[in-house]
Amino acid sequence: MMVLPLGILWFGAVLLAVLDGTRLKNAILAILILTLALASTIWLGIDIWSNGPREMVIGGWERGIGISLRIDTLGILFATLSLFVLLAALIFETANRVRARIFPALVLFMGVGLTGLFFTGDAFNFYVFFEIAMLSAYVLASYGETPRQLRAAFLFIVVNLLGSMLFLLAIAALYHITGRLDMVGIETQMPLVAESPATLIATIMFIAFSIKLGLFPFHFWLAPVYTGTRPSVAAILSGALANIGTYGLLRFGADILPRELDHGAPVLIVLGVVSIIYGAVQSISRQSPSEVLAYSAIGQVGYIMIALAIGGEVGYFAVILYAVINALNKGLLFLSVSMRGWLVGASFAVGAFSVAGVPPAAGFLGKISIFWAAIDDDAWLIAGLIFLGSALSFLYMFQIYRRRFWIPREDEEVSHIMPQVIVAAMAIGLLAVGLWPDPLLDLTSHAVSGLLEATPLVENQP
Amino acid sequence: MILLLSLAVAILFAAGAYLMLKHDLIRLIIGMVLVGNAANLFIMAAGLQRGDAPIYPLEDDVSDPLVQAMTLTAIVISFAVSALVLSLAYRVYVAHSSVDMRELSQAEEEQAVLDDQAAEAPEPEPGSDGSPHTGEEQLEDELEVEEATRS
Repeated sequence: MMVLPLGILWFGAVLLAVLDGTRLKNAILAILILTLALASTIWLGIDIWSNGPREMVIGGWERGIGISLRIDTLGILFATLSLFVLLAALIFETANRVRARIFPALVLFMGVGLTGLFFTGDAFNFYVFFEIAMLSAYVLASYGETPRQLRAAFLFIVVNLLGSMLFLLAIAALYHITGRLDMVGIETQMPLVAESPATLIATIMFIAFSIKLGLFPFHFWLAPVYTGTRPSVAAILSGALANIGTYGLLRFGADILPRELDHGAPVLIVLGVVSIIYGAVQSISRQSPSEVLAYSAIGQVGYIMIALAIGGEVGYFAVILYAVINALNKGLLFLSVSMRGWLVGASFAVGAFSVAGVPPAAGFLGKISIFWAAIDDDAWLIAGLIFLGSALSFLYMFQIYRRRFWIPREDEEVSHIMPQVIVAAMAIGLLAVGLWPDPLLDLTSHAVSGLLEATPLVENQP
Repeated sequence: MILLLSLAVAILFAAGAYLMLKHDLIRLIIGMVLVGNAANLFIMAAGLQRGDAPIYPLEDDVSDPLVQAMTLTAIVISFAVSALVLSLAYRVYVAHSSVDMRELSQAEEEQAVLDDQAAEAPEPEPGSDGSPHTGEEQLEDELEVEEATRS
């Protein structure tokens, strides 16, 4: 049962790789496979919710030797979220006519990479799944194949490949100093490791994940890529792929290297603050809507960093909640900004309210949880800054709304109804989460307690 | 031995990083491949010890098989990525008839100016159809026609 989502996606992806994805029936088959995988992930999630984390060692090896899958609430939450965004983008692209035969297969392969990475309990396996997801993202970035998308894809590959190499170096170094590759094993060995090599590894890992997230000094690739790629791909990159960064920082930072994360907190706060201000100021000064959204994404990462730096139960709670809602926001906004029509306009407005943190939309929960975390930490300056950042994001989101939806241009056709319905459904989902937040809040706190609870000591095996 | 390996890793990484700062796309890709190989050597170095081949039944000290398995996986992945990057570089060359990074970023800036104009314009100019990506859409149409004729 634990490998069910992975297996469905893997076989589906391989099957679709040989079929012509531009045909409607094959694209619908891909949608069905993705829905099935999403359903089985949720089913697995319900089981883990009641019975606790599950662990499985592949190939019947002993624990600590074989490659393990380890699924807890955090992994399930991120897997469900990513599959949901992938599904929305795939339906959107199907409704708009798929342009490349490989597109549906690539979306499924990315699903394999992402679920695998959220489910794995082995650090090197994490890298392998990470590369599966990245490889499909590299090809997806060039989807559309105009010169602009090719440039965006090239930039994306060059920067992110360097990030992956850094991550690989960090994994090898972790193996060298702990002699283990399973995450639980590394975690139990880490307190025995001297401080300086551990800090070095933590720094390299932080840089690798920050490149994926687009945190301030590593953001330079993000704007041309998000504006250059097609809307559905931009939604996938920002709503599904960027989750790797948040999850990786939580798994390797909060879970495996908590001491080093604690030492690095001042740096995270400074980078987070700079990211928020830089993202907001750039967003306000930009004209084209997708560019505004891209810079806004850089700003949103800042909030996640600040919450991560505050740490502890409230801090991690805010990180997870904010990351989940931010991914949904970004998926909705990147999809809706490419279309026209009153339904899309209304959905965009919901997404804009959510980014700004205005109550009926879900974004309010994320903002308020970071606010609580900051007040809990007596960081009044940061609490004020979050307020300022929200006000600025309100400003730039409605600049887009004014330019894009308020004054309809006569010459522009209203988009097809089907894609409009998809973004409207996402918007209703965001509103529903905002109005009835209990399930998401419960899930998040469950994930945090799983992250914080002391790992049972495992016997040292070679 | 470990000194030699670390020297090799350092030289490979430095050469790769130097090439990645070049304007030429092909040099940039070679730089990426070198950095990837530096990472592979680094994994080997992470489990370096003398010993026999780790084949069952084990007798004396064996060398660590895990790093070799990891390196092999990493080599395969970096090989796939290199192939992908090279094919993409070819597509970029076909689209721009240039492999110079400066010309690519110039094209990027021109595109940004076009986008800003499209976003700012309150009224569509008479004579144009006012859609923001006219040039690209034309190109896409041309490509589609080309595909249709081919098949």
